[in-house]
Amino acid sequence: MAALCESFTLRGPGPGGDGPGLCLEPGPGPDLVLLTERGRAATLFKISDQKPLGCWSLKHGQILTCPVVCNFETHEYIAVHDDKVLRIWKSEDISLDKAFKATLSADVYRIHSLPHGGLLVLFRGGGVRTLDELLEAPQQEIENVISGEAIRWSGAFMEDQQPVLIFTTEKDEDFFVYVQKPKLNSLHKYKLEQQESAKPLCFTAHITNQTVTLLCLYSNDSVYQILIPLQQDTEEEEEEKEILSKSLLLNFSISQAVLKGTSLVALDKDHIAVLGSLNAPKKQPKECLTIWNTKFQTLQTSKELPLGTSGQLWCYEEKFFLIHGKVLTVIMYKCETSSLAAAVGKLKCSQTPDVSSFMNWNTLEDEELVVSFQSQESVGLKAESRMNLRSKKSIDAELPFDSLSPGQVLARFKDAPNYLLETKFRRLMARAPTPDLQATVGGVVNVLTDRCKNSKYYPQDFLQEIVETWDLSYSLCPDLMAVGLEKKDMHLLQTCLERFPDIPEEITYACLKAFLSISEAHLENTDVNLDSVICYIDVESDKKEVKTEIVENGFSAQMDQDMCGTKIPKESQSWSDDESCPVGPQKAALLNAVLHSAYTETFLLPHLKNLPAQEAVLFLRYLYYLYVKCSGKVNTTLPGIRSPTINQIMDWMCLLLDAHFTVMVMLPEAKELLSNLHRFVRAQVRFYSELNKIEGSLRELQRLNHLRESHTYSIEVLEII
Amino acid sequence: MGEFEVHRVRFFGLVPAGVRCLACHPRGSRLALARTDGAVEVYNFAANYFQEKVIPGHELRTVESLCWAAGDRLFGAGLSGDITEYDLSGLSAARGVDGGGGPIWSMVANSTGTQLAIGCEDGSVKIFQVVPGGIQFERNLDRRKGRVLCLSWHPSDTHIVAGSIDFFRVIDVTSGQTVQRIMVNHHVEKAKRECVVWAISLLSSGTVVSADSFGRVQFWDWEQGTLAESHTVSTSAALSLAVSEKEDSIIVGTSTGATYQLQLLPVTLGGQEKRWVRTKPFQFHSHDVRAVAHSPTALISGGLDAQLVIRPLMEKIQKKSYDAALRKFTFPHRRLVSCARKARLLLFQFSQYLELWRLGSTEETGKDGEVLPLCQMPEHLVQLKSKGPEHIYCSCVSPCGTWVGYSTASRFHLYRVHCDGDGVSLRKVPKVPKLLPPAYQLQFSADSDSLFVASARGSVHVFQLLEPGGCKHLHTLRPPSGVEGRCLPFLPRGSAQGGCVAEVSAVVPSVHCPLLQHHCTVPTYNCAVSALAIHPSTNNLVIAYSDQQLLEFSIPEKQYTSWSRAVQSRGLHRAWLERDSPITHITFNPKNPSHILLHDTYLLCVLDKSLPLPDDSTLLMNQSTLKQLPETARKRQLHAFKICKKFQPLLFMDLLDENCLVVVERPIMDFKTQLPLPVQQKKFGT
Repeated sequence: MAALCESFTLRGPGPGGDGPGLCLEPGPGPDLVLLTERGRAATLFKISDQKPLGCWSLKHGQILTCPVVCNFETHEYIAVHDDKVLRIWKSEDISLDKAFKATLSADVYRIHSLPHGGLLVLFRGGGVRTLDELLEAPQQEIENVISGEAIRWSGAFMEDQQPVLIFTTEKDEDFFVYVQKPKLNSLHKYKLEQQESAKPLCFTAHITNQTVTLLCLYSNDSVYQILIPLQQDTEEEEEEKEILSKSLLLNFSISQAVLKGTSLVALDKDHIAVLGSLNAPKKQPKECLTIWNTKFQTLQTSKELPLGTSGQLWCYEEKFFLIHGKVLTVIMYKCETSSLAAAVGKLKCSQTPDVSSFMNWNTLEDEELVVSFQSQESVGLKAESRMNLRSKKSIDAELPFDSLSPGQVLARFKDAPNYLLETKFRRLMARAPTPDLQATVGGVVNVLTDRCKNSKYYPQDFLQEIVETWDLSYSLCPDLMAVGLEKKDMHLLQTCLERFPDIPEEITYACLKAFLSISEAHLENTDVNLDSVICYIDVESDKKEVKTEIVENGFSAQMDQDMCGTKIPKESQSWSDDESCPVGPQKAALLNAVLHSAYTETFLLPHLKNLPAQEAVLFLRYLYYLYVKCSGKVNTTLPGIRSPTINQIMDWMCLLLDAHFTVMVMLPEAKELLSNLHRFVRAQVRFYSELNKIEGSLRELQRLNHLRESHTYSIEVLEII
Repeated sequence: MGEFEVHRVRFFGLVPAGVRCLACHPRGSRLALARTDGAVEVYNFAANYFQEKVIPGHELRTVESLCWAAGDRLFGAGLSGDITEYDLSGLSAARGVDGGGGPIWSMVANSTGTQLAIGCEDGSVKIFQVVPGGIQFERNLDRRKGRVLCLSWHPSDTHIVAGSIDFFRVIDVTSGQTVQRIMVNHHVEKAKRECVVWAISLLSSGTVVSADSFGRVQFWDWEQGTLAESHTVSTSAALSLAVSEKEDSIIVGTSTGATYQLQLLPVTLGGQEKRWVRTKPFQFHSHDVRAVAHSPTALISGGLDAQLVIRPLMEKIQKKSYDAALRKFTFPHRRLVSCARKARLLLFQFSQYLELWRLGSTEETGKDGEVLPLCQMPEHLVQLKSKGPEHIYCSCVSPCGTWVGYSTASRFHLYRVHCDGDGVSLRKVPKVPKLLPPAYQLQFSADSDSLFVASARGSVHVFQLLEPGGCKHLHTLRPPSGVEGRCLPFLPRGSAQGGCVAEVSAVVPSVHCPLLQHHCTVPTYNCAVSALAIHPSTNNLVIAYSDQQLLEFSIPEKQYTSWSRAVQSRGLHRAWLERDSPITHITFNPKNPSHILLHDTYLLCVLDKSLPLPDDSTLLMNQSTLKQLPETARKRQLHAFKICKKFQPLLFMDLLDENCLVVVERPIMDFKTQLPLPVQQKKFGT
């Protein structure tokens, strides 16, 4: 989310003069800008100090006809006055009169300074020369490329180590775009598609992957995007002008109000800043600075400028420069990568003022360079400074990252923004295993859970991954399960229950309660590990089968009926109830996780007493279902991974009955379940006591078998490897 | 490594005698044990419960009770009516002193170990003074009718409690008068059977604890004559009882083989009022538990099934170590079998006779695990009964199988074996030189022309064997003067060059060289030697200690070999060190000098010195894993310890020739069937 931050005055109202107006260019270093004003003087400012470092002015009668620029390699300043006279000086020079002077043969429109690209001089006739070429022969003839067209805007970029100069011209309401590569002597001319009843007011451009993206502010309150491919085949001379089509990027209409833009700056690939006046019906137009998100067509922020502006806007080093009233004002801004959540206002703004700037640089890693409309030269500088900053930071912060101790890392990134946190922690955990890595991972989880508490932030996948990858324990990250409960992350809770050896009974109970109370419908869309249930839960029930199984055990249902003291009116009904699983597979899997977790009866029992009766009955129903399933198998084990064992089922059943004995007795809906259970248990007891009879005989057989084996003497072969 | 033809022998009909009584040394470092055949054994707790000393029994000397007194002196008393002191360095019973009251049922020493009280058949309790060199009758206490089955001193030595049939009484030691007489079956309505008080203990608080034949453990206030608590622990008799030194825990042995622990626990948590609670039942024995002892950290029980069980109290043990494991000892930590390699004979030593067997043979070969058909069955050649009531100390058969020797406490016998066709005849060698008995170890030289006899005080006698049946005393080797006195000779197997002999005092093995002089002494190690052997070709002495350490000492160089140093610096595998039975025999493969064969009760191990030693992360018993691996993959997994656990319990193992092993097993079930029937218990479903 982009935001405008504090502003300050760089220069107060100064002595005004008549000239081509103010212009701002980047200075020879970071934090420096070069101000050309009123046709006669150039001033170098240090922004952070808000004070001028140097000022050079022309003799009376001479007028600066284009902005003063700085040669980034030699730190010389270059100015053109009276259209043709070139002046070059250094910052030590005081008077421009004594500075180097060269008179050219044609009128200069503008000079562009490119880092690593030298200086390009654009003449009014459309000719382009590098400064070095010009200085060798100042009086050389400059061709006229355009005829009768006036240059409205120009910009210079580096692409493939080649300087590229783009300028737009206007003639009779028609606009043309020229793309020139001076080193290759190539020139392309395009015509802009016409727009009815609107004309371009302001341009800005940037180059990405051999394509020039030209943004154009039209007088119909819209920004259009024009893509111009940079053609490689320069041999082919294009005779006819190509017509460039444009696409609407953005329309500035804010609920009846309309922004009349005057100036446009691109901040990054998704954000543009527009200076203009907001015209609302029945209201005075107000001038304001706005930042727009082009991806989502939204206004991100705006700032009213009640004293009026000159309509010009520059942007260097994350600062806007504009004339507000009579003073040169600097407004800082922040611009984060946009996301849908941010655009619709769902993303919590975790921005804190002390975010170190390198974080943002990191995110810009892959983004296009941002070009400002008014200062083409700045592009290079910006890129360079960005490079510089990045490399510097990489020395400061990135390289030592690996040498930082885990504790330091945790402390350092505790307050880092969310997106960064995850990547940093991933890196931290990917380190070579150290003895305390386990503890470190626990620390990571704690930092994450601290952040999750009472906030919308919840890195579900990341937490899940950590719990699955590392052998954590409850005591290492005591808040994790509480956060999982708060966020209703059933999958995480399941994994924790299965993996943590030391979960307190209170939490186990809380999980159980959460699992029982959550609706099946909600669970259906939840990703839960179904390994433990998939092998035995059957969707369709078959009454007959179970019945025969019971008969096989040696006891017919009839017998059970007789044994049972209480009369159950509808026998078949109750059996079908037992057959189908009382809970859905997701819930069953979650409950299995609870059955699997370790507990101490004494500590669990008090909590279990708090379980609401309905849920207790549901749980008991499920346990009974498992019990019946288990008993169906000869070895009384359920198939599948991590499926509950018969002992776990029995223990929990006893525990549940202990905890809710009186409730169960009173509850009418539990009555049938309990009597079924009773009947089944009794049948089982009888069955196993029958087995006892066989066991004695079998044991005797085994003993005889053993005796037969033990001869008193044998010669055997033994291989020892 | 190769395949062995294993002669698996299970016809050694050894029936270990049941445990009759136990006595814990007051300082808790040693345990004395008496068996029903009169043998007395001493176990050293510090040396991994190694059976340090064995004094063979005597037909006329049964031991009903043992006690330590006056420091490290051990006394025994039995139904012969004598009180016997045991010479633990000389491994013999000293001459007994007649108790003068008929058969003695019990004997206890007072807390300072200066006085012994005996309970006799005639109902008398007599006090003996322990004096240097023996004991002296002091006086009689009040005599009442009824044999005194059990006795206990009050910790302050002022009173003695004596248990009889149907009652026990408390006697004031100073006056000698009975101050209280309590009928134990007074509370039982219409008691028709008599109630035998089998064990009794007088606690410092004045409480009397009794265990009786009704299976009850009862707590009495003797001054009031009232019953405080009664716990029926068993439906059959409670036979034995021992109280911990702190008097907060009691172990009770019963005739069903179960033992129970009772603990004095507070009624409420942190409360003052305490009550005895039956806490832990154990069923380690199949027969009567006649003896129990309570060491500070363990419950010890011995039963008529010949098992000694040491069950550590986990709450008293700080860290998991050797002490934390349950131990069961059934078989002696020494060799009862000797083997004539060349003649393929086995000599089995029983308490009063010897058996000579010839092994069978086969002509087939087979693959691993196969049982080969026999072409000749094993043959019981001869049984040699020992004369007199004394039990046999040691025995040996010569490698060629023509000489058999054995020794009892007082005499040494040598026999010449003649095998002619089917018949076997034994002829006693006449005029065997008289020696200072007893002989502890016998060893024939590899060429069967000389015999080494290890005798008292570390001396070794060398005999020359003469054809057709005679012998001549050649020489006596004596240890250097410093170690004399506590020497216990221990002859190794496989002496080379006709005369290299190693012997061992309790901890210091020393070696005599072929010139029949003392050659060197192996550096002292603070643990008992459980087995040692000299390699026939390299003359390296291999020593196994009871803490499972293995050392190899080069006799020619008089120092440990480099392999031994490597073992010490690397440390042995944890699983090896945690074994609970000591190595009882070491032998060598004459064809491969790098192989050492050793065994304990549960495993046999071929140690290949040429292979790398295993570290703790590798599997020690990896034979079954290796067998599943393909030939090529085995190489990386091989390590020095090749362990086979197929034969258990293993009493003896030897190499007959390069590819032929003999193992002697004694399955527990086999001898259990020969024990008298235990108390019949109805088992559910049978």
